[in-house]
Amino acid sequence: MKKILALIVFSLNFHADLVLEITESASKPIKIAILEKNNNSLAGQEIVEIVRNDLSRTGEFEVIANDELLSIPTNEDEVIQRDWLLLDVDSIVFVDVQIEENNLDISYSIFDISYNDTEDKRRVLGLPDSLRQSSHYVSDGIYKFFYGIEGISSTKLMYVTKTSNMHKLIISDADGFNEQVLLKSNSSIISPAWSNDAEQIAYVSFENNRAQVFTQNLASGQRELIISSKSSVSSPAWSPNNKELAFASTKDGNSEIYVINLKTKKINRLTENLAIDTEPAWSPDGKKIIFTSDRSGSPQIYEIDVRTKLKRRLTTIGNYNARASYLNKSEIILVHRNQADFNIASLNLNSRELSVLTSTKNDESPCIAPNGNVIIYSTKDGNLSYLAGVNISSKVSFKLPALYGELKEPAWSPFIR
Amino acid sequence: MKNILISILSIFFIFACSSTPVEKVDVQETTTVDLTATKQKDTDSEVVMNNVDVGEAYVTILFDYDDDTLREDSLEDLFAISRLMKADSMYTLLVEGHADERGTREYNLALSERRAKAVEDFLTATGVSSFNIEVVGYGEEVPVDASSNEDAWSKNRRAELFFIK
Repeated sequence: MKKILALIVFSLNFHADLVLEITESASKPIKIAILEKNNNSLAGQEIVEIVRNDLSRTGEFEVIANDELLSIPTNEDEVIQRDWLLLDVDSIVFVDVQIEENNLDISYSIFDISYNDTEDKRRVLGLPDSLRQSSHYVSDGIYKFFYGIEGISSTKLMYVTKTSNMHKLIISDADGFNEQVLLKSNSSIISPAWSNDAEQIAYVSFENNRAQVFTQNLASGQRELIISSKSSVSSPAWSPNNKELAFASTKDGNSEIYVINLKTKKINRLTENLAIDTEPAWSPDGKKIIFTSDRSGSPQIYEIDVRTKLKRRLTTIGNYNARASYLNKSEIILVHRNQADFNIASLNLNSRELSVLTSTKNDESPCIAPNGNVIIYSTKDGNLSYLAGVNISSKVSFKLPALYGELKEPAWSPFIR
Repeated sequence: MKNILISILSIFFIFACSSTPVEKVDVQETTTVDLTATKQKDTDSEVVMNNVDVGEAYVTILFDYDDDTLREDSLEDLFAISRLMKADSMYTLLVEGHADERGTREYNLALSERRAKAVEDFLTATGVSSFNIEVVGYGEEVPVDASSNEDAWSKNRRAELFFIK
């Protein structure tokens, strides 16, 4: 596989706090052009530029620049097929932008060069101040047309930054734009987690000199301490229906897994032994929880049925397996110690086959994009921590370098639709 | 009112007739919570610990990788603390457990708390009242040395003991 270091430069006036670098592209990216249809409006140019960047930063498209084109059609009828076949372009996406005072209307069509015909037509409606988000929906539509997998340009990332003594919990668009600070604190913040409706988050804050779990409403900023305890409470995980939160706590002596009903506050204790039990994560159907336990002498992944409390051990290879989450019903991802390094690995629950997915050294906090195909994690190079990611199907890898002292604890939002 | 209803219906009609898939986009609002300006009181005053500056650790106990077993070279310090605390029951000891950066943050949090607990268990076994000991785990969040090498890691795997009288 060819190693390309493509730095995507954002030419717009918006300030991007994270800039994504593709560290390894797809072996055969799809070559496309994105052109504005008919009129050349300022908003239209901006939207085309955002879509170009979105698709380039997937590493799975090669978006051809305007100055490389042999002819620039303004609609489907003006396409000179021969010009495009010479450039080896697969398709042209025509983006038609209508913008009025209270209405942003983007229609786009995918014109296939070899068939010399329009293959698909779609439309995104928004408000003029949702221009960036609306453009990301266009990118996601194009991505899905070509790859059959949901695009993730319209999703959001949550992460923690640390500069000297200032800890910030931040969300941004998936391209790093539009950073919004959710929490500013002088103490550590770890384990942020999105609710599945993307309206709330949960995280661990050390603001009261011990680990405590808070939930916070994104819109109002209203926070709630989930349980009051003199012991540590940590590792929150929302149940698929958002009604319950799994967590780890030492409130009964040593670290155990619990589930709290957020409405009734009723607590269900799932584990009971002298070992460390922590890092719970729900199965997609909400019936099971996987967690880390060192009951065997080293941290390994176990699965427990929430109702029957029947347990089974999932990991057998290696002496350090932790922080697991379900990729799908039959596959999990986790932090795996691979000789001296800590890497992200996937484990097939049927075949028990373990595959190491990353090659950096101190990888942790793996998190899956809502399309189930991209993993983001935090890693460290020297004293600098930053985020990195890998696309499972295309093997594209990327990194988000820290512009801060530390950039860590990524959490990918669910689809916001 | 009637006009609004008609326009809503007509919008619906346009959407329903169109063969092109349409997506509608909303903008999400967020609010910033700033804990740095004023200490929030609404969180839970009961669990807020005495925010007195406890100063330097009285004793630091070091641990091996992924281990909460007290090493032999720590025992002399711990016996001395035990004698001190049994002689004067006014002493309250705060034991803060820490971990190195390797491995996951949450596992390290549990491990660091278990290290602090190992210190507490030793002291109570020698006759100190557990009433006079508080344990807390900080995981890998508060390293003494933020470098990524064995020298730094060995210093960070520790329990710090403070007297809060």
